[in-house]
Amino acid sequence: MAAEEVGQAPHGEGVVGQLSDWVNDHIRTVLLGPSLVALFVVFIYPAVMLMWLSLQNTRGIGETFEPAYNYGRIFSDPTFWNAVEKTLIYSTGSLVLSVGAGLAIALALNKVLSSRVRNTYSTLILISWAVPLSIVGVTWRWMFNGQLGVVNKVLIDLGLLERSYSWLGNSLSAMLVVILADSWSRIPFAAVVLLAGLQSIPQEMYDAAKMDGATTLQTFRHVTLPYLRPSFFVAGLITWMFAFRAFAIPFSTTGGGPGGATETLAVYIHRFGIQLLDYGFASAVSVFLVGVTLIVATGYVYFILEQIEEIEV
Amino acid sequence: MAGPAFTVEQYRRRQRLWNALESRYVVHLVLFLAVFFIVSPLIWQLVTSFKTQQAVLDLTYLPAEPTLAAYERALIDRGFWRAVVNSVLIASASTVIVMILGTPAGYVFSRFRFPFDNAVFVFVLFTRLFPPIGLVTPYYRIVTTFGLLNTKTGIVIANVYLWLPLVIYIMRNFFITIPQALDEAARVDGCTKVQAFRYVVFPVVLPGFAAGTILTFLYSWREFLFAFTVSTDLNSMTIPVATFLFVGDAGIDWAAMAAAAIVAVIPSALVVIFFQRYIVVGLTGGLKG
Repeated sequence: MAAEEVGQAPHGEGVVGQLSDWVNDHIRTVLLGPSLVALFVVFIYPAVMLMWLSLQNTRGIGETFEPAYNYGRIFSDPTFWNAVEKTLIYSTGSLVLSVGAGLAIALALNKVLSSRVRNTYSTLILISWAVPLSIVGVTWRWMFNGQLGVVNKVLIDLGLLERSYSWLGNSLSAMLVVILADSWSRIPFAAVVLLAGLQSIPQEMYDAAKMDGATTLQTFRHVTLPYLRPSFFVAGLITWMFAFRAFAIPFSTTGGGPGGATETLAVYIHRFGIQLLDYGFASAVSVFLVGVTLIVATGYVYFILEQIEEIEV
Repeated sequence: MAGPAFTVEQYRRRQRLWNALESRYVVHLVLFLAVFFIVSPLIWQLVTSFKTQQAVLDLTYLPAEPTLAAYERALIDRGFWRAVVNSVLIASASTVIVMILGTPAGYVFSRFRFPFDNAVFVFVLFTRLFPPIGLVTPYYRIVTTFGLLNTKTGIVIANVYLWLPLVIYIMRNFFITIPQALDEAARVDGCTKVQAFRYVVFPVVLPGFAAGTILTFLYSWREFLFAFTVSTDLNSMTIPVATFLFVGDAGIDWAAMAAAAIVAVIPSALVVIFFQRYIVVGLTGGLKG
């Protein structure tokens, strides 16, 4: 359709024609340029400001340039190390639960023969992924509420608990609840990625294993797992990376409490940067968080690439 | 394969055990438990939202007299219907901007060589991997400086930062699956490069474009961190932020909070129900290189 119109004017005449010639000659700039400019404005500008702010002393009135001040505070502040510890527990817990449950779901879904039934299950399971993160938080906050929560009610009615337990008032159980809430929203993603991995395994491999007399367990160990490894890495990295920087779920479930027991680094940064307006310190902690994420992610990606090459050979 | 280290009898027993594990009863039990775990918190919110405040305090399982009063308290008395409108406007505007910018960019990365092309692509990936919480503090200052605090524009700009790199990456992966021969054929037939993209390649990638659009809309809809940082004011705050604001109350009106939560979840749930396939394609398409 369009080809005919163009055929008549390979070299444009008039202003419009010249413009279209120019666009044709600079196609990469025209199609890519706006995105890069946008990313520059919305990413580079704040990112540079982050580095700059982290070198400022913003405690008290005004700002003074003191490069070592905030970074020095990081390492001497015990609440910072508390946040690091909680972040590690939180992200590891969520990683193990999400990928573990995701694998079980993916294996089960892969065995469902009817595609309509499989799609129904997938849809129901995907729903928690689409729930806004703050809604995830308030939902779990509500269910585990000490006085009115349904979890206490059910446990008491079943005779498993004598009286109401303050789930979010105790450090250990509060951490357990936020990890559960976090996994709840991440399991669908892990399941979808792992299912895609399972579906890419050629049926011949299973047939061959059967011919060789392999047991189901051996087939799983020697066929399924090696093929699934890249999907595992992807699901694991992404789940961990997003749990490591988690803000909305711990913030809306417990607000970081009780007494900092669920204060992840992101909640910690928000407390200093937005609530206490100590921009400099919050920025220095952000630089630390960004650094850790990028080092782990880069190392991991290289690792994955090597693994994938091995498998494809 | 080396001989098994156990007898034929043991082999058969193990095989039976594993076959039982793989039976459809076990498969459906696992899936049923998963669906129960995923859906029950939302069902509980739905049930709560139909309760009277007294029923909430009485710890009943089901509302004795179902009522929509909680919805009225949340949406009308508190005025949170405006947050719903804000959410729709912000998510739609963000999606349109991100798709218009990101689709051509993904096309360029899938087709053309240019100086520093790999470096530029790594930069895009880098912005995707960068933890957004790191940018919140400077972004809050920038938004304050430019008078964008408590505005929808401030939230839309944040959404562009958050989802543009993702869309560029996903769209590049979709474009890569389309043979370059298609572009060349269009060019031979007299299309300009823009026309080859617009009329020949783009229609083929439409399912991928739909997946990108749906993902961006959902991600913008459920975003909390930046929306909360930029606005807690009825003129511009989103519905996830509005729902969270109940937490600050002295005595939380749990039924009204549940009603607001259900209102925030319904659009997400509908998108998932109708576009489940596209979401799966988008989530996995964004990962494969």
